[in-house]
Amino acid sequence: MLWHKTWRETQLRFYIGFILLVLLAGGGALEYPQIVKLLPAVSGADLTSELGRRIKEAAELQRTFRGYVWSQWFRQNLPQLGTLFAILIGSGSPITHGSRGAALFTLSLPASRTRLVAVRGAVGLVQLIVFAFVPSLVLVVMARGMGEAYSVVDLLIHGLCWFVGVSVFFALALLLSTMFDDLLRPLLVACAIAVVVGLSSLVFEGVARYGIYALMSGETYFRTGAVPWVGLLAGAALSSAIFYAAVVNISARDF
Amino acid sequence: MTEPLVIETAGLRKQYGVREAIRNVNLGVPAGSIYGFLGRNGAGKTTTIKILLGMMRPDAGSARVFGLPSEMPTSSVDIRRRTGFVSEDKDLYDYMTVGEIVRFTAGFYPRWRADLEDRYLRKFELPLDRRVRELSRGTRTKLALLLALCRSAELLILDEPTSGLDPAVSEEVLQLLVSHVAGEQLTVFFSSHQISEVDQIADRVAIIDQGRIVVAGELEELRASYRRIQFVFDGEAPDVVFRTPGVVRAHRNGRVITVLSSAGSEHVVHEARALKPVAVDVLPVTLKEIFLETVTVEG
Repeated sequence: MLWHKTWRETQLRFYIGFILLVLLAGGGALEYPQIVKLLPAVSGADLTSELGRRIKEAAELQRTFRGYVWSQWFRQNLPQLGTLFAILIGSGSPITHGSRGAALFTLSLPASRTRLVAVRGAVGLVQLIVFAFVPSLVLVVMARGMGEAYSVVDLLIHGLCWFVGVSVFFALALLLSTMFDDLLRPLLVACAIAVVVGLSSLVFEGVARYGIYALMSGETYFRTGAVPWVGLLAGAALSSAIFYAAVVNISARDF
Repeated sequence: MTEPLVIETAGLRKQYGVREAIRNVNLGVPAGSIYGFLGRNGAGKTTTIKILLGMMRPDAGSARVFGLPSEMPTSSVDIRRRTGFVSEDKDLYDYMTVGEIVRFTAGFYPRWRADLEDRYLRKFELPLDRRVRELSRGTRTKLALLLALCRSAELLILDEPTSGLDPAVSEEVLQLLVSHVAGEQLTVFFSSHQISEVDQIADRVAIIDQGRIVVAGELEELRASYRRIQFVFDGEAPDVVFRTPGVVRAHRNGRVITVLSSAGSEHVVHEARALKPVAVDVLPVTLKEIFLETVTVEG
């Protein structure tokens, strides 16, 4: 019923995102031997400038496969591309699907608006869970075939961190989609907010470690081994609050 | 015995910005009736229907369907469970196939009528594997009707069901409605700006104009009570204001005064007797004439 409708409306975006993430994860695993070969060149270079310091830091991380996976995948590719597709999946009204007339058909069904948003949210979150774990699993399995090992526990904790963090952007796109009936405006506004949050974490490095991208990358867990429970709870609370706002907003609207 | 009211509105009002879409709308739709809701485009028909289905909240007044308040989210779900609806645009999910949208809709209604589904699929020749976006407007209307009729609904709300259809398909849709209603216990509330189709199938009618109900009642009673009375005078007709209750409109043209009365002709003729007309003609009135005399003419 409603889950089927939601799935039909988002499946193309989901498949594109899923395939791209899997390709990126698999490509990352295949690329690792080449990276390892380049590392001695970085050690010998004169890297005293700020840029050099950063290159050296990145190279240091990539000396181990765990560091490589974190810096390339969980800190970079998954938060960037994954966030884009989370926003894309969250965008688009849970009621109208492009035309006001179809909205009237949806609203004539015996389903409350809360249920419509809840199903849309639930299907989206399941899709994000797939994004969180399956491409990472592909990376781990391929790496194992190439003689590298990666802990499944690390994968699960980093996946959880990304999932909780990205659910905030997904909920934001959903909230915006209860305000605008088209696909484009929620997408653009949510992407703009995601970019501003990302850039501000580069400018204000001191507070970046408490930011949403730090949570998504699981940096605390990578560096200290401690699961960032406070960040996870705060992220879950924030996305729940935004979901609630989406429900309130759509319940109050006239169609 | 008076039939219970399936739809009942009192003082319903809705404003879009500064424009009042409907004002003080009072409706009573008895169970088992075919109720035509007649009005020009933009008169307030769709706004009223949206309020009945909980898609929109009124600014003032109340709307009850099956005795349940339509603006309450929980009772609105109950109302929709018992109501079939076809929107004016007949927009459905265009990415679904006919078979898919039938299964999708059936999933919401435990009392879905599979026998009617089979019958109407065959009657309308709806191709199960065709996407909704590929259907013509006429076929889409038939599909929307099928989805509304198979719900075992107690009430059908149809917003301009024949709009955009050619006359042959319109006739087919109207005939289908009449035959469906004859076989099922249900109430039909349908909006239209086509006087002829309301005249053809409705037993009750309300005319809405600029957001106000200007006429409401049983069609037969309206036909019986509305009269056009022509008074012919020897010379120029006198300039007179009729005080008899029920006078809707009076026109003076040369030697003739024409009066439209909603309360028969007797009292108007009695009042006009003092003016000494040389001839009095009392004529029956069609729904079209009632409509044209009661709605505001623009320009």
